[in-house]
Amino acid sequence: MSAPTKMLSVENLNLSFGGIKAVDQVSFHIFENELLGLIGPNGAGKTTVFNMISGFYRADSGTIKLREDVINEYSPDKVNKAGIARTFQNIRLFGELTVVENVLLAMQQTETLGWIESLFRTKSYRDKEKALYDRSVELLKIFSLDHLAEEFSRNLPYGLQRKLEIVRALATKPKLLILDEPAAGMNHQETEDLKKLIHFVKQKFNLTVLLIEHDMKLIMSICERIVVLNRGIKIAEGLPSEIKANTSVIEAYLGKRS
Amino acid sequence: MNFVAKNKLLFFFISFVAVGVICQFALNSYIQALVVSFMINAIMALSLNFITGVANQFSLGQAGFMALGAYTSAVLTKVFLADQWYFIPLTALAGAVVATVAGYLVALPSFKLRGDYLAIVTMGFAEIVRVLFLNWNFVGGPRGYNGVVKWPEFLISYGFTGLALFLTFMVLYHLKISWFGRNLWALNEDEIAAEVMGTPIAKNKRFAFLFSAFFAGLGGALYGHHLGYFSPASFGFLMSVQILIFAVLGGLGSMSGSILAAGILTALPEILRSLPTGGLDIRMIVFPILLILLMILRPQGLLGRKELF
Repeated sequence: MSAPTKMLSVENLNLSFGGIKAVDQVSFHIFENELLGLIGPNGAGKTTVFNMISGFYRADSGTIKLREDVINEYSPDKVNKAGIARTFQNIRLFGELTVVENVLLAMQQTETLGWIESLFRTKSYRDKEKALYDRSVELLKIFSLDHLAEEFSRNLPYGLQRKLEIVRALATKPKLLILDEPAAGMNHQETEDLKKLIHFVKQKFNLTVLLIEHDMKLIMSICERIVVLNRGIKIAEGLPSEIKANTSVIEAYLGKRS
Repeated sequence: MNFVAKNKLLFFFISFVAVGVICQFALNSYIQALVVSFMINAIMALSLNFITGVANQFSLGQAGFMALGAYTSAVLTKVFLADQWYFIPLTALAGAVVATVAGYLVALPSFKLRGDYLAIVTMGFAEIVRVLFLNWNFVGGPRGYNGVVKWPEFLISYGFTGLALFLTFMVLYHLKISWFGRNLWALNEDEIAAEVMGTPIAKNKRFAFLFSAFFAGLGGALYGHHLGYFSPASFGFLMSVQILIFAVLGGLGSMSGSILAAGILTALPEILRSLPTGGLDIRMIVFPILLILLMILRPQGLLGRKELF
């Protein structure tokens, strides 16, 4: 087997807010089809790194590469078009849109729909809309959400909203999926379901996944490799078993033994 | 997928013609003028509803776009086209285009602003336009623009204004239910999420502004030719607010709601005016109370986001 190619590489990333170095010389990479976990105590800079990857913050220095493209300067919508989709820690669905419309909205960004044809609602335009609608429902069907297609997404229970957010991210046809604390606020059973869902999504859509999470159990059980941040610095990187035994990680989470 | 079906169009057309004929032969010129006013108000309400209701970009500058449309069309007919009424459709379009250009200029710096801040910028824009015309003697300055060419007949005025309203409605309604409208709904609800889904939000806001400004300019041009006189004071802050009231009452996001509300709010003051109150003008007391009651009982507006059909 040849060496696996890197899907995303982050090199020497720096970002300061005023006098505070939120992210300090962070480098890591994700191989294709890998499931990488990014962990760290509160305030470690996980979300900041995340926001730089998805285009909301500009790095002071360093590069972020998706395969060969440098995406540092991309705006969030361009980052998405380049092939990175994300979900949010606090769910951000379009509550006043229906479930299927949420997916449709994401899916239509990958299509070119014209102005004139939509103004006149030509036959071909209506056909395109119909096709998009059908494809959205099909995607929902894979996750058995299709019976809720016409429901307003704000009416969905919490677990299903999380699921829908992942489906919506998938509708943009990403190569890399970033999940920001998907298990936040979930009970044990829901977390188990989420674990299966992440595995399923990764296999089915041939994805690379970056997982940011607090739930250690979840991280340790599904991630292939883990990167640990603390106070903006990468303190460890390795297999789950290595991370568990790493003294600096234990110190970061639990403090030094006196 | 709903779209305006052919038989509905036919129904609207027949009732439109019927109303026109009734107004022409059975009603006096006061009612006739009121009907045209209603249609102009509806155009203005629609133009604002698109930008504020669908795209959630709070604009208090519709009067500015309106003024640009009105002055452009009036000057063009007077200076270049020898006050011939049959050029009005053309000059009205020119007025709309000028307003669109202004809309682009307003949208350029505005795409990073939200809510109240955007409202202040658009309000400032409308004030700039007003003061500009106030100081321009060629168009009458503060005395206003006199002798703007009017439509010769009620039915002609009715027909063209109706056509303009129809165009406005069809374009904005079709945009609302299309991919573009869906993009706007998304950024209406959550800009960050919309952006992450790959929606180019700055571009979408800009286009929403262009459409809104175009139809506001069109409405303004028709307003000028309907009344035959206007002054910078006609396009003050109150005008923007009045348009906002139409859109909010009808339901932000509901295109047919805007037309309905424009109808109600054009007729209501006139109905109240004719009430026997023993010489007391209670109109300005009753009208606001009715509005307050409506907003308490139905804060989402008459139709919310839904359409009548």
